[in-house]
Amino acid sequence: MNPRSYNRRAVLRSLAGGSLLMPGLVSQLLADDSSADPLAPRSTELPATAKRVIFIFSNGGVSHMDTFDPKPKLFAADGKTMGIGGGLSNQQRVLLRPGWQFKPGGKCGTPVSDLFPHLRECMDDVCVIRSMKSDDNEHYNATLGLHCGSFFFSRPSIGSWISYGLGTSNRNLPSFVVLAAASPYAGTQIFNNDFLPAYHQGVRVMPGKEPITDLDPRSTQEGLQKMEMDFSGAMNARHLKARGGDTDLAARIRSFETAFHMQSEAREVFDVDKETDETMALYGMKRGQTDGFGWQCLVARRLAERGVRFIELVDGSSSHNWDQHGDMAEHAKHAEYIDQPVAGLLKDLKRRGMLDDTLVVWTTEFGRTPGVDGTKGRGHHSACFSSWMAGGGVKGGITYGETDDIGAAVAGNKVHVHDFHATILHLLGIDHERLTYRHGGRDYRLTDVFGNVVSDILA
Amino acid sequence: MLATLCPVVAFSAFTSTVASAADGDAVFYRALNLNGPALSIGGHDWESGAGARDFEARGKTFDNQNVPLVPKTGLNRSRMIRSSVWGGDVELTLKRVPAGKFQVFLYVWEDNRSETFNLLVNDRLIQPGVRSGGAGEWKKLGPWHCESRDGQLKISARAESSGNGAANLSGLEIWSGDGPVPAEPAPAFADNPTPEQLAFFESKVRPLLVANCYDCHSAESGKTKNSLSVDSRESIRHGGDSGPALVSGAPDESLLIAAVRHTNPELTMPPRKKLPPEDIAVLEEWVKMGAPDPRVGGPSAAPAARAPVDWEKARAWWSFQPLTKPAPPVVRDTAWPENGIDSFILSRLETEGLAPAEDAAPGVLIRRLTYDLTGLPPSPEEVDAFEKSAAASGLTAAIREAAGRLLASPAYGETWGRRWLDVVRYADTAGDNSDFPIPQMRLYRDWVISAFNRDLPYNEFVREQLAGDLLPQRTNDQLIATGYLANARRFGSRVDDYPTHLTIEDTIDNFGRTFLGLTINCARCHDHKFDPIAAADYYALYGIFNSTRYPWPGIELEQRQRDLVPLVPEDQVAAVLAAERQRSDELERLKKNEKKLAEAAKKASDGPEKEDANQKLEAARQAVREAAVRPQAPQAYAVAESEKPADVPIQLRGDPTKSGPMVRRHFLTILGGAELPPDDHSSGRGKLAEWVLAPSNPLPARVMANRLWQGHFGKGLVATPNDFGKQGRAPTHPELLDWLASEFVSKGWSVKEMHRLIVTSRTYRQSSTPRSPEAHEKDPGQALLSSFPRLRLSAEAIRDTLLELGGSLDRAPGGEHPFPPQEKWEYTQHNPFKAVYPTNKRSVYLMTQRIQRHPFLAIFDGADPSTSTAQRTTSTTPLQALFLLNDPLVHEQAAKFADRLRTSLPAEPDRFHAAWLELFARPPGPEEVESAQAFLSGLRSKLAATGQPPEAVESEAWHALIRALLRLNEFVYLD
Repeated sequence: MNPRSYNRRAVLRSLAGGSLLMPGLVSQLLADDSSADPLAPRSTELPATAKRVIFIFSNGGVSHMDTFDPKPKLFAADGKTMGIGGGLSNQQRVLLRPGWQFKPGGKCGTPVSDLFPHLRECMDDVCVIRSMKSDDNEHYNATLGLHCGSFFFSRPSIGSWISYGLGTSNRNLPSFVVLAAASPYAGTQIFNNDFLPAYHQGVRVMPGKEPITDLDPRSTQEGLQKMEMDFSGAMNARHLKARGGDTDLAARIRSFETAFHMQSEAREVFDVDKETDETMALYGMKRGQTDGFGWQCLVARRLAERGVRFIELVDGSSSHNWDQHGDMAEHAKHAEYIDQPVAGLLKDLKRRGMLDDTLVVWTTEFGRTPGVDGTKGRGHHSACFSSWMAGGGVKGGITYGETDDIGAAVAGNKVHVHDFHATILHLLGIDHERLTYRHGGRDYRLTDVFGNVVSDILA
Repeated sequence: MLATLCPVVAFSAFTSTVASAADGDAVFYRALNLNGPALSIGGHDWESGAGARDFEARGKTFDNQNVPLVPKTGLNRSRMIRSSVWGGDVELTLKRVPAGKFQVFLYVWEDNRSETFNLLVNDRLIQPGVRSGGAGEWKKLGPWHCESRDGQLKISARAESSGNGAANLSGLEIWSGDGPVPAEPAPAFADNPTPEQLAFFESKVRPLLVANCYDCHSAESGKTKNSLSVDSRESIRHGGDSGPALVSGAPDESLLIAAVRHTNPELTMPPRKKLPPEDIAVLEEWVKMGAPDPRVGGPSAAPAARAPVDWEKARAWWSFQPLTKPAPPVVRDTAWPENGIDSFILSRLETEGLAPAEDAAPGVLIRRLTYDLTGLPPSPEEVDAFEKSAAASGLTAAIREAAGRLLASPAYGETWGRRWLDVVRYADTAGDNSDFPIPQMRLYRDWVISAFNRDLPYNEFVREQLAGDLLPQRTNDQLIATGYLANARRFGSRVDDYPTHLTIEDTIDNFGRTFLGLTINCARCHDHKFDPIAAADYYALYGIFNSTRYPWPGIELEQRQRDLVPLVPEDQVAAVLAAERQRSDELERLKKNEKKLAEAAKKASDGPEKEDANQKLEAARQAVREAAVRPQAPQAYAVAESEKPADVPIQLRGDPTKSGPMVRRHFLTILGGAELPPDDHSSGRGKLAEWVLAPSNPLPARVMANRLWQGHFGKGLVATPNDFGKQGRAPTHPELLDWLASEFVSKGWSVKEMHRLIVTSRTYRQSSTPRSPEAHEKDPGQALLSSFPRLRLSAEAIRDTLLELGGSLDRAPGGEHPFPPQEKWEYTQHNPFKAVYPTNKRSVYLMTQRIQRHPFLAIFDGADPSTSTAQRTTSTTPLQALFLLNDPLVHEQAAKFADRLRTSLPAEPDRFHAAWLELFARPPGPEEVESAQAFLSGLRSKLAATGQPPEAVESEAWHALIRALLRLNEFVYLD
């Protein structure tokens, strides 16, 4: 995959000939040459207001009318039957009143339900989008579409596209990290590089003992691995010298150095013990805790600080999530699980001055039906749902778009998943129509042939 | 039904949409939308069936406005058709009908599978055996002449046989009198507008269109989304992919108005902001007056007129040219070429002023050749034998001999079969949302491996994969071969709106790339933008695969396999299927019995009665268990002919809900366009295989010759092996490609012959070090083969070698995967099938999931199991390095390898020698021995300092040495 460059080779060869070649030097040379380095940071054509993204995904379908989209008339229409459109809910159902009251949050007064009391305090920094729309009422397809812009075929994930478009500034950490305790719908496809080169693969971090596979040195002896590295380094240098400084070989030598440093640097990122009590409390964490959503959010901040380009936090799994067909009351425990951690993340980023250039996105794959499912639940509803964005050049303290009186359909300023993606890329300085990759005879885009930037929410 | 472009008619004509009846003509009496609202169709008012006066309907109600209608029709008529009253015994009764003669029309439609029913008027059979047709088909039946009876008109639909025969009745239209029913008046557009109408257009309509629509729908903006432009009279009336935008005089039937009203959530224009009501009213008013429009011959006057494919010009493209057999060119250095290949390569090098590289050392060559043909390293004995043979009888003879040995090894098929499996995106699961396992799929994998090993001629290899089941006296193997088609990807979770069109797209996409090197699927939504492939060509092939029965792997809402093919001789298939049916009926009966006895046992009172009931229940349970495990005939996950092979219509913009004209099944026009003969009632797959393999089609030989070349050199002569079209890359050596392709054909499509030809060439034998520094400059990517391109081992080769070195590799064939038994399949998108089965067999036998990549293969650039991988990428990532640093597999196998060396060889220099030979096929140099010794002694002192016993120190030190060697570039790269 590395484009070979004759000049680069020549430089390396002349250095090798002069016996100046040392592994460290190889790395340095390669790092300076962006053509040989698919992850070198790249500037953008458009001005970027966000440098990195923290993408929080609540799996299962979070009800919009119970969280961010107040529907007084739905409270009033409880028990009545009205025509309700939208996929699986394409049938007449008895309406179910929302289970939580709404109160204004922040100075702006954006209403948020009692499910998110902590997050409500942050509304001055948040733009709530109430007119999201997806194309599919199946968890799997909607989750895939939300991440890859394709509802059926596996395609590169948004994080991979952004890694491909922007590269990354810290080569001792991956450019795209996914913090997921368990597998969401559509599994690894949601953070897959697919046809993009493997450099842009999302690296899954699992809260627990070994957050990244094979991260921990297995040798029992301290320093043993370093000795092995030195020996293979010397052998590799001799091999490289005899082969005219082939950049593929040099790049592989460098990948071992990166991996070697990742073992300690990545470890350090996941070790949140150095954080103050006050910070731990902000995220709703107890000292010593190495999992939970507070841990995920705090580690996200630490990854963002160290230059990771795209960080996804997965909330819930394919079998345990916000999919409340049976009893909407269960939304409470799912909300409680993320409310304080996410609010803590926003506050922490803000006080550190990081919210200005960090885009925080919260979304789910679809909303839920205004009509009842069973006796106390709600069904899948892709016709409309709510998401929000904060920081990174997004207007805070506003809401955008609207749904009809009962939250059954978008009533104005529709934001389709493709528009959502186009807007995220725009904030990062990328024109979604120009970020393309040639594969199998076609130029592919994250937004396929769709997508409009929602310019009304740009600060 | 409503004409889209009407003849020029005076404006006044448009006002009389309802023509008055001529003398003797029948007169409109009543029309009922049986399960929908009141609306206007063809200028007549239709009543809503629900609650209509003097009317009763018996039957169930059904409404699905998402089914695409065939043929398409206007908005209101479509709405009426897609809602219906249905059942096996439907009755519609009109009461208080005056005495007299009437004519009845009945609209019937079909939403999924065809049904057959009888129609009766006043209990008299007037149309027997009506077939409703395929999904979306509708018919206006009648007129049936009849008289009212006792003040009633009764229309009934009855199932022809029990079980099948549910009729969907949408609308009823009744005329009185028995004269001719006047044709529906076509409302005319206002083509000679009055000055007032023009003023209305200019002052109100044009500004609205310019401000709100032109951005995406005009020639000026360069965008005509959904193929619609609204900047000329012709184009706005013609409409876009969804049909005509305007129906003169009928705002309610006009798509443009529906779009601005945002009535259909799928069609809301403008997309962001709904127009204010007053603007919508302006457009409604305009349509009502016949859409007067002075923009005649505007910029988009020729709407949707994409230039048709210029076939003559298209045929000039290099890959469509007939296959030639150029003579190998004359070269200056006549001593160098070993065979024809070399003349082509050298001639090009000489033109560039370059000389080929030296022959590589025998050790390098045997390592290259062994990995190339078998994916495994040569043993030290094999290295030794090769070197001796080369010294004694020369490189050519040595290579020929070694190649013969390697090609005869089962490992050959395992390696080259895997390359084929990459291209056909092989997976052991279906790819639906729950990723159902396909235990039988591995039969196809094994067939591919065996086909390579027994050198099945490539043309037969292709034929059997496309139509093995249709061959005369077909064998089980030939049935299994069609697993190629069956393996197409599945989608979704539901059965009701199962996206068959996506599975067929996946089939066509892979078929085009694999056998023809063409991206046919680009023609799904429109004619191919770059290559001469029309949308009609795509749907011609679509018809063939739509006429093919794919096996059902199971899906969330229907979790059991069906439609697999029993592996028995053709004349026994029917009997086996009947036995299967009997067996499942029997099982069903036994289960019912068990349930009944279970209830009885529950109710039975304690004591002997209970005991007796329990005994009976246990016996019943045993019977169920026995019946469930009764051996079935083995089955293949393979295709068969569908019940009713048929042509299909074009899907506009690839949207299965938007049908265009029907297309006869045929082969790609650019490749001759042969049509399925009219008397051929098969799916057409047999013919398709013939068309693909016709001597006039140069592509299969070129494409496969290129794949074989790529397998040996890492890069094809055409660098885009799946795309020989305009978006692909031109061949670096076009004459060589044709020479190879014609050799291939003339040698009976023998793949092994091609291997022999290539590996005995001088080109293959070159060192990877170029002869001169200029070679770097003039041939940077080694595209000209001025030296052998250095290759990285594949994911499979790395894993297999690690296991082999550790003495752990199990060389037995793969066999079955340990999938759970089908009775236990309860996979859903919430809990999808997900497994990694540990095995020490070769990596080609790893269970491969379509939507979850195997963790090891994902890290090392393994094939993408969801789409064709024509060429593996070779990325170099820290995760790969972490694997080699820390993964247990590496540590275990390194330890086993080191222990093996230590136990078998007491002297340290011998151990170094053996290790280097096994890893790199060469002995260590003196410097390397020195480094290794220094490294070991450093380790020993470090480890001894921790107080470990000497044996542990020695063992640990050797483990560390081998681990370090396994991380070397020299280990994963082939010179």
